[in-house]
Amino acid sequence: MFVDALKTIWSDSGFAALAWKECIMIGVAFFLIYLAIVKKFEPLLLLPIAFGMLLVNLPLSGLMNEPAEGSSGPGGLLHYLYMGVKLGIYPSLIFLGIGAMTDFGPLIARPSSLFMGAGAQFGIFAAFIIASALGFDPQEASSIGIIGGADGPTAIYLTTRLAPDLLPAIAIAAYSYMALIPMIQPPLMRLITTKKEREIKMEQLREVSKLEKICFPIIVSVFCILLLPSVAPLIGMLMLGNLFRESGVVERLSETAQNALINIVTIFLGVTVGATAVADRFLRLQTLMIIGLGLLAFMFSTVGGLLIGKLMCWLSGGKINPLIGSAGVSAVPMAARVSQIEGQKANKSNYLLMHAMGPNVAGVIGSAVAAGILLALFG
Amino acid sequence: MSVLESFVVTLFSMSIVFFVLAFLWALIKILSTVLKHFENRKSENTAAQVATGMQAAVAAASEIGSVASISAGQVKLIDVDEKTAAMIMAIVSHESQIPLSELSFKSIKAL
Repeated sequence: MFVDALKTIWSDSGFAALAWKECIMIGVAFFLIYLAIVKKFEPLLLLPIAFGMLLVNLPLSGLMNEPAEGSSGPGGLLHYLYMGVKLGIYPSLIFLGIGAMTDFGPLIARPSSLFMGAGAQFGIFAAFIIASALGFDPQEASSIGIIGGADGPTAIYLTTRLAPDLLPAIAIAAYSYMALIPMIQPPLMRLITTKKEREIKMEQLREVSKLEKICFPIIVSVFCILLLPSVAPLIGMLMLGNLFRESGVVERLSETAQNALINIVTIFLGVTVGATAVADRFLRLQTLMIIGLGLLAFMFSTVGGLLIGKLMCWLSGGKINPLIGSAGVSAVPMAARVSQIEGQKANKSNYLLMHAMGPNVAGVIGSAVAAGILLALFG
Repeated sequence: MSVLESFVVTLFSMSIVFFVLAFLWALIKILSTVLKHFENRKSENTAAQVATGMQAAVAAASEIGSVASISAGQVKLIDVDEKTAAMIMAIVSHESQIPLSELSFKSIKAL
């Protein structure tokens, strides 16, 4: 009797249902957990993503199960939380928090930074061309290309609308490469710029008035949303968060948006995106191709930003250090920090961080605009 | 989608991205110029008001000064030079916590 009971427990357990594909996915999840905790690669998102991936690949957990048809029983916990991703709620709420945390002052002080933010979107479309050539349909190619925008919420938002099947691979590639920016960008920066250019010290930025900072989010929202209505959830929330911050009259809302709210949404977003990485959907040649194309997209974006930076350096008579162009790939503030570090390597008295924040935040707007265009074309 | 078509999409999309961000650049420039203009006018008005206020204050002070010189009266100094007398008046004011303008000295005499 006991033997039968043990047999039943075993056959009903997840161990008996474990297939080799799930084992690989559990291994991938362990590796990502290691990267997040030990290597500190974007741990705020990579850790929940990796744990979501682990949970969903443990057989019979049913965490992502839809409620059975005709049954009154509920579906899995993560299935319901995933609705926030599917409906585009979480990325927009994360943008609200990012807006509340972002100071657009350096961009307003030097609006020409916007051109570097635009140039750094080149990677999105370069990857789009290559993905199309490799046989991906336009929706999939757009979702793969957006990895080059180096903007996690935008990548997730666009992919859930155009190619939801690719979401786990794209989300993991986007966040992993954002964490790897200090390794991806510097060789390209040194390759494209001369030592003389990297040594350029930039003039201090002018002081931006409070009124300018208040008017900025309102004007950007009105113009961008009128031109590209599909981008309203992202730009609208980003600018609302920024208005909370700059208005100075809703301190509590600003505090909540940049702390509690963004943290809660990050947990839900990370776990549920990770939970979409089930073995059958993830362990495909396509995933490897997406990861490779994502890297290319990042590299082309960096090159695009640097080339515009070089052009602006030339046009300004050597007053602009082209290194700040690479910060146009978004990934706030990591990419700006990389510009600062490379600038200081060339000239110890060089402080590029605030100058690089301009293209950096311009990149956030640029990638949202690029996503809006792709949605308008292929949505 | 053919590679040629994807090139066309890229050209079109990058043009739109540059157009949108260039338009934002122009909007920020206009906004900064307009706000700077308003702030300059505001600071000019403030400066004018401050100047008027200062003139009024100077006039009032000179009036007060003339009144004070009238009400101060004369202090009889006996074997004391003016500098020592001024020092004594300041010490008395400080120790008694009474402003100098409210104190009335009749004479200061060396003992």
